[in-house]
Amino acid sequence: MGEPMRRTHFRLSPSQKERLSQAQERCREAAGSVHASAFVNVGDTILVDYENGFLRGHGTQLVDGQLLATVCGVVERVNKLVSVRPLRARYNPETGDVVVGRITEVAPKRWKVDVNSRQDAQLMLSAVNLPGGIQRRRTATDELNMRDLFTENDLISAEVQTLHQDGSLHLHTRSLKYGKLENGHLVKVAPYLIKRLKQHFHQLKQYGVQLILGCNGYVWISAVPPSSSEMEIDQKPADSESRQPGAGTSEGQNVEITRDLRVRICRIANAVRVLGACGFMIHPDSIVDTYEASLSWGIEPRQMISGEFHVRVVEREAEQRSKKG
Amino acid sequence: MVVGLSAAEKVYIAGGIAADIRGDGRGRHQFREFNIDTSVIPQANGSARICLGGTDVIASVKAELSVPPPGRPNHGKLEISVECSPTAAPEFEGRGGEELSMDLSRALQRSFLGGTSGAGAAIDLAALSIVEGKLCWALYIDGLVLSSDGNLLDALSIAMKAALSNCGLPKVEIIGGTSPEEEPDYELSGNPEEFTRLETSLVPVIVTLTKVGKHYIVDATAEEESQMTAAVSVAVNKKGSVCGLTKRGGTGLDTSVLLDMISVAKRHSAVLRRALAFAGLFSSPNVEKRPVSFCLLLFRRLDANGCRTK
Repeated sequence: MGEPMRRTHFRLSPSQKERLSQAQERCREAAGSVHASAFVNVGDTILVDYENGFLRGHGTQLVDGQLLATVCGVVERVNKLVSVRPLRARYNPETGDVVVGRITEVAPKRWKVDVNSRQDAQLMLSAVNLPGGIQRRRTATDELNMRDLFTENDLISAEVQTLHQDGSLHLHTRSLKYGKLENGHLVKVAPYLIKRLKQHFHQLKQYGVQLILGCNGYVWISAVPPSSSEMEIDQKPADSESRQPGAGTSEGQNVEITRDLRVRICRIANAVRVLGACGFMIHPDSIVDTYEASLSWGIEPRQMISGEFHVRVVEREAEQRSKKG
Repeated sequence: MVVGLSAAEKVYIAGGIAADIRGDGRGRHQFREFNIDTSVIPQANGSARICLGGTDVIASVKAELSVPPPGRPNHGKLEISVECSPTAAPEFEGRGGEELSMDLSRALQRSFLGGTSGAGAAIDLAALSIVEGKLCWALYIDGLVLSSDGNLLDALSIAMKAALSNCGLPKVEIIGGTSPEEEPDYELSGNPEEFTRLETSLVPVIVTLTKVGKHYIVDATAEEESQMTAAVSVAVNKKGSVCGLTKRGGTGLDTSVLLDMISVAKRHSAVLRRALAFAGLFSSPNVEKRPVSFCLLLFRRLDANGCRTK
């Protein structure tokens, strides 16, 4: 919870610091994929082929005939286009992204949603499924009852429908898998740690935990909603439209959360926090991996946010990478 | 700080506290891991920074030579103030943080400073006197909130205690002017080896117990604080006596609950004090300008009741 990690919240003793930097060094060596010169700081010169010409992309600037980086990040080249992708930035939306957001405002015919982007996203009343599941024109009555669907501060999952020239983005929740989120909690990480995958809704059946990895860096971890416990949510997007009306919003479906389930949710949440703090990619495999590692080391959930666990996770990652390489 | 939570999240937080497992895995009576850095501000006489989870505060002690307060010629001066930086939350910009700063500094003043006569202060004010009626030390203790994730008062009290322990007052040599009519003539020692430490053993630490639903918790995060019905901050000194008590939130508390809270606060303050003393072993007063960082793995030493396990 809280702000995305601006700096490390965990504390390290000198020996742990030493171990961490060694492990990070080994990670870098093992990776070998990204050359060190691909990383630039603000004001660094970017090597380009001046003779054949190049196109100046985002995050760069021409100063005295030299191409300089204006942000801190990774140099990306597509044919002649040279741009710098910033490492720490707000969420850069793309059409089709699954996001988790918080309603900030109920406006005429639309909701404003905070999705960790530069602007609040807009969710039009016409872009949601009405309870009852029938497709019809939205009436003035629907507009008056908007707060029955989503109200301020509600957390929702949604998909990016369109991006506009002015930087605004529209969302939609026109599938039963999207809607209000309940029975869990939110963890915020840096958006670049979440890769766009085929699936962003995951049910970790072995733990009874549902995971929504929002492309915007908001991760929702909750108990598996009862309506979907038998079916794979992502498997049947096509026929889900015709299913039980209003089931997608899962409203009022408060499942009984046992203490054991809470511990599991918490362990998953802390695994996400640790991966986020260490700067490792966050996907179901890495989360489950960290979860199982914490179990096998006999570490309690609350100890997972300590410095020692972070160091061990990085060391473990270094080992795995060097094995692969 | 304004924390927006959906109804479902509120239910989840309250349920977690009832089940004795909070969002980050802690039980009800467990502190977050924290870290103390001392001598972080070279210009101050004593300073400390504490990071408690996402909460980050700095306290500094600045000593000035001053004239004793009227009516108390053999006393020094002690002042406490707290400021909330806009880096902590956008709401603190301009005058936005004023209300919270006032609340925090008032609670700290109540527990650290004595009555108007100066009796009962955490620091012996008579020890700050240099020349009776003419010259004394004035200590300005300032707290700065850099980042806020709940439990600011406890963090500030720990930081202030650490800063006071870290404080070294340079030696003052009186050269002349000791007779009642004359202005005192003095010289400050420039030797960094010559300093006096303050007696800080009686400075209390504050433990805040936040009541959410039917249960109370220690070291609440901002999300948990937004769900509180009442919060009791207990300042406990070395002897285990209660030095100050501040209650926030309008809900009434049963006397038995209050007594329970005080005993939990006492247990926690003992652990915090030990941690501070341990950090103090490695720190020296600011005169040497050597920053010292110290890491405390608190919750490993605590079981669910806040008792030390090993």
